[in-house]
Amino acid sequence: MSGTFSIAIDLLLNSLVLSGVFLIVAMGLNIIYGLSRIMNMSHGALYAVGAYIGYSLVATGVNYFAALIITPILVGIIGLLIERTIILPMRKRSMVYTLILTYGLMFFLDGMIKHIWGNRPRFIELPEFMQGMISILGTQYPVYRLMTLFMIAAIMIALMLLLSKTKAGIIMRAASTIPEMVSCMGINMSYVHMGAFMLGCAMAGAAGIIAGPLTTIDPLMGGEMLISSFVVVVIGGLGSLRGAVIAAILIGFVQTFTEFFITDLAMVIVFIMMAVILAFMPRGLLGEGKFE
Amino acid sequence: MNSTTSIPGISKRFYPLKIFAVILILCSLALFPFISDNRFYISLITEMMIYGLLAMSLDVLLGYTGLLSFMHNTYMGICAYAVGLFLIHISPTSLWLACFAGVVFTSLVALPVGWVQVRTGGLAFALLTLAFGMMFYTIVWKWYAVTGGDDGLMGMPNPDITLFGWHLGSSSDPVNIYLFTLTVVTICFFLTRRIINSPFGAVLEAIRENEDRASFVGINVRRYKLLGWMLACILASIAGALFILYKGYIGPSTMSAFAGAGVLMMVLLGGMGSLWGAFAGAFIFIYIQDYISTMTEHWEIFLGLFVIFLVLFLPTGFAGLGDYFKRFRKA
Repeated sequence: MSGTFSIAIDLLLNSLVLSGVFLIVAMGLNIIYGLSRIMNMSHGALYAVGAYIGYSLVATGVNYFAALIITPILVGIIGLLIERTIILPMRKRSMVYTLILTYGLMFFLDGMIKHIWGNRPRFIELPEFMQGMISILGTQYPVYRLMTLFMIAAIMIALMLLLSKTKAGIIMRAASTIPEMVSCMGINMSYVHMGAFMLGCAMAGAAGIIAGPLTTIDPLMGGEMLISSFVVVVIGGLGSLRGAVIAAILIGFVQTFTEFFITDLAMVIVFIMMAVILAFMPRGLLGEGKFE
Repeated sequence: MNSTTSIPGISKRFYPLKIFAVILILCSLALFPFISDNRFYISLITEMMIYGLLAMSLDVLLGYTGLLSFMHNTYMGICAYAVGLFLIHISPTSLWLACFAGVVFTSLVALPVGWVQVRTGGLAFALLTLAFGMMFYTIVWKWYAVTGGDDGLMGMPNPDITLFGWHLGSSSDPVNIYLFTLTVVTICFFLTRRIINSPFGAVLEAIRENEDRASFVGINVRRYKLLGWMLACILASIAGALFILYKGYIGPSTMSAFAGAGVLMMVLLGGMGSLWGAFAGAFIFIYIQDYISTMTEHWEIFLGLFVIFLVLFLPTGFAGLGDYFKRFRKA
């Protein structure tokens, strides 16, 4: 009896961790989409870049917590470079071009990862005190996994405060609904787009370094995360932040539980569920573009 | 290959020079295996033609209907697996029946997927093609008992190519496969061109230009999108049937996202919205790929850079170059 109970607790916590990682990646995608109507296909690759940068920082002796802060900043800077060089000329063109462009960027980044770090799987070394297990309701659970939940919660609260309390957040929310009006108020929309892209990329990087120690880091992780985050974004409704929360929790739970019971074809169950939801709600659970 | 002739997309005017050029290209392609004895080029051109057909099918979707499919190669792969499994397990000799079964099976798979996809918007459509493509890829990869998993499908029999009782030759000979592919691809090309120039094609283009206006005129946008999707998938499945006959082998890597990006790249290279451009794109792309992959293992980086470069500087592709020069001369 206690065995079943502890497995249930284990599964529940694992689902929450997976949901949290999906949530941060999908949130980054949604922020970019909501503000500048760009679907960033290279988001998964940026997530992988975040994990690899985190690995390199920790491997060269940087404190893990320092790496946790430096990595998103570095990935954000990469995002800034991408935005200024290749996304900017795409603003006036059809959306299809941006999709294909960022898809090409994804292959470029994946190729660069393989070129720099190689195909070998890598592990991020955690500090001593995070490697142990902790007892929750009689279940032994890794400390780090519990820590990730707190980190994800902290990021989400920070994002919420940013969007609701600060001036930048108010501008962002306004720009997602009526961009023309925002530029009439004398705010340079170009900076808003730039900021949104940087923020989205930084979130992908943060998710990368948070999720890195949970599993091994390999070049395939970006592609897998891209698909999962698309499923989350499409089910929740494109550009809808609350929809992403609900969808991330749903997908996280379904995937963890199906992986536990069927192992191999867990993704297929997730896709079938997605198809059923979309057949009845083509615009996702909460509809498109509710940016709050 | 000299593919610089253009077949007018919509224009109804009669161009004797262009028709002459098309006949010239077809004749030279048909005579090629009798002139040259080089097996490498024969199989390379076969591959080019098959991928040209696949790129053209994606172009029907992308260039004419305005819907982006990231993993169109999935449907080619599904049909190739279906044909292969049919030949191995059910009947090793009936080629036409196997191809027919493969195309029907692929349509049956593509129909519900397309039904879900067209209900969402244009952007969600593109994201869903990637999600469903990855799903099929995962199934093929993990279902070892049927598909052979990572190893792929091996031990394909070589059925004879027959037509109404005539024996045309065995499919184990590359020259026969080359001619067979050329015939099928040519028929598919002219058939597709006819469909695209019909009122149906005009409806698809109207949807591409403005979905809202098309629906105001009374067009059932979702149904036409679904029909466009099915047309593209059926063409892709024909390419798949040819592919397994040519290779005698099919593995999951043919269905990967990476290969899908290659097909997208062919369409971009050739120019969206031009059927012959897709073939030109496939010919150039496969030649470059063959050339570069012998020199470097980081083909991914080059593919990514090519795509970025093309979208930034040459969005109309190879087929658009003519217009560009025309404008240049006028200015």
